Amino acid sequence: MWQVYFKELTELVRDKKTMFFIILLPILVFPVLFGIMGLVVANVAKQAEAEEHRYVIINADKAPELTEALFYHKNFKKVESDLTDPEALKQAIRDNQFDLAIIIADDFSADANNLTQSQWKVIYNMSSQLDMIDKYFNELLRDYSKKLQLAKLDSLGVTAEKVDALLQPVKLEKVNTAESREDLGEKIGGLIAYILIPLCLAGCSYPAIDIGAGEKERGTLETLLICPISRTSIVLGKFLTVLTTGLATALITVTSFGGWGYVIGSLMGVDIVAKTMSTLGVADLLLILMMLIPLSAIFASLLLSLSIYARSFKEAQNYIGPLSMIVFMPLIVALMPGVELTWGMAMLPVANVALAIKELIKGTIDVGMLLAIFGSTVVIAAALLAFCVSWFQKEKVLFR
Amino acid sequence: MIKIDALAKSFAISRGQKLSDSEKQDVRYSKEAFHSVRNVSFDCGSGEVLGLLGPNGAGKTTTLRILSTALQPDSGSVLIEGVDVLKHPVQARKKIGFLSSSTGLYGRLTAYENIAYFARLHGMSEAALKQRIDELFTLLNMHDFANRKADAMSTGMKQKTAIARAVVHSPKVVILDEPTTGLDIMTTQTVLDFIRSLKQQGTPVIFSTHHLDEVASLCDRVVVIDKGISAFSDSFDAFKALSADGDLRQSFMTVINATASNREHN
Repeated sequence: MWQVYFKELTELVRDKKTMFFIILLPILVFPVLFGIMGLVVANVAKQAEAEEHRYVIINADKAPELTEALFYHKNFKKVESDLTDPEALKQAIRDNQFDLAIIIADDFSADANNLTQSQWKVIYNMSSQLDMIDKYFNELLRDYSKKLQLAKLDSLGVTAEKVDALLQPVKLEKVNTAESREDLGEKIGGLIAYILIPLCLAGCSYPAIDIGAGEKERGTLETLLICPISRTSIVLGKFLTVLTTGLATALITVTSFGGWGYVIGSLMGVDIVAKTMSTLGVADLLLILMMLIPLSAIFASLLLSLSIYARSFKEAQNYIGPLSMIVFMPLIVALMPGVELTWGMAMLPVANVALAIKELIKGTIDVGMLLAIFGSTVVIAAALLAFCVSWFQKEKVLFR
Repeated sequence: MIKIDALAKSFAISRGQKLSDSEKQDVRYSKEAFHSVRNVSFDCGSGEVLGLLGPNGAGKTTTLRILSTALQPDSGSVLIEGVDVLKHPVQARKKIGFLSSSTGLYGRLTAYENIAYFARLHGMSEAALKQRIDELFTLLNMHDFANRKADAMSTGMKQKTAIARAVVHSPKVVILDEPTTGLDIMTTQTVLDFIRSLKQQGTPVIFSTHHLDEVASLCDRVVVIDKGISAFSDSFDAFKALSADGDLRQSFMTVINATASNREHN
């Protein structure tokens, strides 16, 4: 068994493709990709914030204060237009003559004694995810409304002290019991599981294809089968190789993300990363690794079974594609907002490990549940490994 | 030395698998199974070279795979030096060296590492395998590329490496499945020389081939397999005598035609 293991490892280490997947990808490519992604998102947001919106205002004279505030707002630029009909304004916006039309009601009066509600209209393209027009305009309108409110209340004889009691009879003070770690874990714990688990799968799949289907494609399988060692030893040797690379990928990635995170964090003065790293103890990290071992064993057995059944690299890749999709399903379930680690969820393979990792990062794991998840994952892994071993004894699998 | 008796092996046909017209005409197909090998018997003595002939798909490869323990037969027996291959496959494997033309090497390992890997799997000690590989490298003139990776070797180098690997554990019998198919003349010569050297050492060799000139120059015994049955099994001279003018092609056709007419009579 160890002969097979060491030989497979030697061969994999010499393979540039494998090394790319296992080492270069997580250490260099991923962080760079994530970095670029972060920069792009930040830039887009910044641009949207700085963008200037051209507006047209109808009946501006009815609300001079608001008109003035709009005029001096740095994100709004007044445009002259003769149009007054809403339909015509809509079309003008579609034709990109301006971005926003504000129609103040004809009968509106800013007079404090006027106690009727007035209906205004704003017209603009609302399909943007970052609806900055809405944000800016609402800010202005809120201030303006507040002023009107106070003036009107004053005209009704409500003094400034009574205003708060009238407008907001109850004021709430919120006290958060979640530690900062729990809060942070909830936010990034799921994401870490989402990165770690597919990486284990990715780290397993290339070597699995190489030492399963590859053995058939190169024509070395027959020679291997007639060596005086049992087929069980051959499978176990190969299985351990795949398991090793899967875990190595995950470990290298975590280390590299930690390292990059620390570097970037200390350079940019973002202490959120440093905080996370310091709250996570060595014990937590070891527990996360412990959860990943049986999960990787599941991946390794499944991938090896598929790969040894395939006649060629290509066929193996065709089988493994759908498998990755199947693995992603429970992972997505685990990441859905509001999904908590319950006993029901603890029975769902892959999702349970993802949730357990999240809970471990939050520091709120239930030990009984952790053991149950670990146990059930080990049982599934053992069953799949047993299947893989018996699968490898079948002639119809080996000689297709 | 080696005795094969009444081997039979069938492969299940998966449901829904459509048989082609030519397959339907093959007597070996039934509804559930393909009886690849139905009744193959032959024997081979010490120092003898046995040539296995037969049309494509006759069951040669299946027979040789059973011999090499890669496949398990449904019935029949294989004895190598008195060891029942089917009952003691692991013990028997130590006595067998196997090579086919399609045998590959691990591309990212060197010639030495490829051979050493199989030597270790055969349970050889580091010292013993070192000495043995050195011997083989001298014998096959391989020292020049001992440390070259298999991916960077020529076909001839690869075939030499494959040969060395097949015999690194000093097997008692060597089985070759179409060892010269698809090889160039130089490499074929390497293989044939190797078979000859095995013969001189008294190691029996069983090989399947489509080249009758190889049979003529090497074989002591000839077995013809047709439709999963060993239709002919005798000495090379008896095979040659099947045709009036000693033309081997004619002899081969005589055997094939005889089985075909037998079937029609039945």
